[in-house]
Amino acid sequence: MPDRPLILIMGMALVTFIPRFIPLLLFSKLEVSPAIRRWLTFVPVSVFAALIASDIFFWQGEFSLNPVLNLSLFPSALVLLTALKTRSLLWSMTVGVTVMALLSVI
Amino acid sequence: MISGLKASSPVMTSYAALGAACGVVLFDAGFSLGEIFLMSLLVYAGAAQFLAASLVVLGASTASIILMVFFLNLRHLLMGVSLSGFLKKQSLGYLGLFSHTLTDESFGINYSRFRDGKWTPREALLISLFNYASWVSSTVAGGLIGSQFPIDTLIMSYALIAMFLCMMVMQFVSKAHVAAALVSGIATIILTIWLQHNIALVLGAVIASFAGYLLDENSPDLKGSE
Repeated sequence: MPDRPLILIMGMALVTFIPRFIPLLLFSKLEVSPAIRRWLTFVPVSVFAALIASDIFFWQGEFSLNPVLNLSLFPSALVLLTALKTRSLLWSMTVGVTVMALLSVI
Repeated sequence: MISGLKASSPVMTSYAALGAACGVVLFDAGFSLGEIFLMSLLVYAGAAQFLAASLVVLGASTASIILMVFFLNLRHLLMGVSLSGFLKKQSLGYLGLFSHTLTDESFGINYSRFRDGKWTPREALLISLFNYASWVSSTVAGGLIGSQFPIDTLIMSYALIAMFLCMMVMQFVSKAHVAAALVSGIATIILTIWLQHNIALVLGAVIASFAGYLLDENSPDLKGSE
């Protein structure tokens, strides 16, 4: 259960709107230096990789590279291959959820 | 209107499916149907909403969820910078509505069309609004489904990781970007084990973004040509 759902939603709305709005507001008038622009292209890929790594390489709080103990490694490898091949969110999520469902049945 | 509907239909379809999954997960995390509706309407960010659901289940505090959502959303800065050149002379109201409905997918559609010319700010906003409507209605529908049927959310929440994996792959535009992902993953693992704190994630990502930038700058071999 969320502690204070309305405060959470308002806070999320604010921190989502600001990074969406500020660059459009400022840079439709100003120019951005190419160096900053290039550094910014590395932010999303780094954020996603950090989120993924902190999740899939830790099973129940313990670091594990053993695919038998850490059940998220095998589905993640399949999802990675699917994503590289299709670049489709829907396919990646379908493969991930299906494989995870099959593993939990076994 | 018709051409806008046509251009946005692939995204609207995938939003309907993702939105339904997100609604299920949010309902299971303890959000009411009204709160799911409000969140989709005011936040409108799929990855952030999935992340919020999984962090609520883990018992994270409101403040730490908002902080993580903020870092997740930093990627939108870049989209705004890229699109800003095409939206000069637009009113404040337009920019406000356009940025609120800016997502990875609507950026993808609109950026390539703007770049090829023959695309107006009005058409771009229309596409974004169609996608927005699809997301809001499907998350509420997902919440309704979740309230009627028992669904295993441990499996559903894995959808978030699958989504992040795919969004990461979509950012692989050069070898330096792939290298940044590897640095980020390894740095995050080492820092998490060492610090035993979620801040490791933020540090890992910041280190990797600079590492990627420097690799891109210094080594000609790593410069993306594909």
